[in-house]
Amino acid sequence: MTIQRMAVLLLLTFGQIQGANAVFMDLQSGSLMGMVHASVGGTFADNHHLSAGVGYVPKLDRHEEMSMGSLRYRYQNPYRWNFSVKDRSYGISPLNFGVALLVGSHKDLFVKLPDQYPDGYYNPTAIRLIFNYQSILHLNEQTQVYFDVSVLDVGLVSYVREPEFFMDNYDYLGLEGITNWGFGLRHQF
Amino acid sequence: MKNRFLLLLAVLLAGCQYELSPWQTDAHCPGVSVEENLAKLAAFEQSIGKVDYYQVAIIGDPQQYPGSFESTIKHVNNLDDVHFILLVGDLAETGVKAEFEWMCKAMSKSNKPIISVIGNHDSLSFGKDIWLDVFGPYDFAFTYQNSRFVAYNDNKYEFDDVPDRDWLAAQAAPIVDQPWDHVIGVSHIPPWEADIGFDAHLKENDFELTVHGHESSFDHWQWQDDLLPHYITTQNRDPGFGMLSVYPGLPLELSDCTRECVPSVPRTVVKSAAALPSQGP
Repeated sequence: MTIQRMAVLLLLTFGQIQGANAVFMDLQSGSLMGMVHASVGGTFADNHHLSAGVGYVPKLDRHEEMSMGSLRYRYQNPYRWNFSVKDRSYGISPLNFGVALLVGSHKDLFVKLPDQYPDGYYNPTAIRLIFNYQSILHLNEQTQVYFDVSVLDVGLVSYVREPEFFMDNYDYLGLEGITNWGFGLRHQF
Repeated sequence: MKNRFLLLLAVLLAGCQYELSPWQTDAHCPGVSVEENLAKLAAFEQSIGKVDYYQVAIIGDPQQYPGSFESTIKHVNNLDDVHFILLVGDLAETGVKAEFEWMCKAMSKSNKPIISVIGNHDSLSFGKDIWLDVFGPYDFAFTYQNSRFVAYNDNKYEFDDVPDRDWLAAQAAPIVDQPWDHVIGVSHIPPWEADIGFDAHLKENDFELTVHGHESSFDHWQWQDDLLPHYITTQNRDPGFGMLSVYPGLPLELSDCTRECVPSVPRTVVKSAAALPSQGP
């Protein structure tokens, strides 16, 4: 419950940032962020974006029911390719990278080491870092849809440490073994 | 430009998985279950009949290094005397699905059966559920060339009431008074000094040796009060594994192996007074 409270507080805080260049709301699915992940954030220093959000996964045969909180940073490169379809203008921003701190909330995960363990026995299992790439399609000046490719912390570390293993066993330079995809919708206010 | 972008998008879509979170439990790991590997081992035993000598490779703690693990497996593939591999736990570091899947990919390169026991790191996050789905039971026993191998879960921080002493005794007991050539215990963590009387319990039930991982370097020791040897293999690194040589009717032999194998003999350790069983009033 602490995580949910923190996330709600962060959402409200970001919601109050009317002074930011742009305040946005983001809805994402997949890419390790939950079946649905709602975030609110702001744009700072032109191309830099910060957001906080909450995610949810219902009970499925491949997943326990779980909520999660996130803090995310995204760099959005200003390069944009514009095009028109049937008199409507669109744009694609192909170079956007980010990182998310994801905190899972479930009784089998922990942030603070449970009492039965000696100090420092494990790192927290509820906290993960997720690195991502996004390709953004601008539907208009306010609304974007995006395709997201993410890599979990342990995936990035393993790939950097033993790239040959992944290249030998997985397609696309071994990235098939560590990447996940998702998609989302973002609206700027 | 548009076509290139669409091509890149198609490649990314084809190469990725739609994953809801890091904590999914549907690990894709064909062919690594204990049941399947014991069936392979039984078929192999039936095909070769009774032998005078065989070896067992003991691999432990490959977590975070799937490439090194694969390399060790390929090395062991070339050792004809090795009939099977005991994998003594900690395939994953944080218990997430992706870690298990990388290890399963490495295991698929083995030309020998791999019998796996759960480690403490495998039990983190939702690793317990993944283990049951992918590998099967935490405790099991099997017989090979009239030697009894008893694999047990002793991850005390992650599970309640382990190891199960009564189950261990039952699994080690001879069938219709025909003794085993050897009884060998297999688990992730070596016996804990604080688990008073456990070592004596194993000894009383005719265990001749136990093999483990967990400690990240080779070790081989026995407590002075019962002289039951415990062999610990190193964390797997390119390659690093223990080797058990079995001669029916003769003492078991152990070696520490990298590219070459070096014989290992147990050192004798004195238990602290607090860890010795009470002698009664």
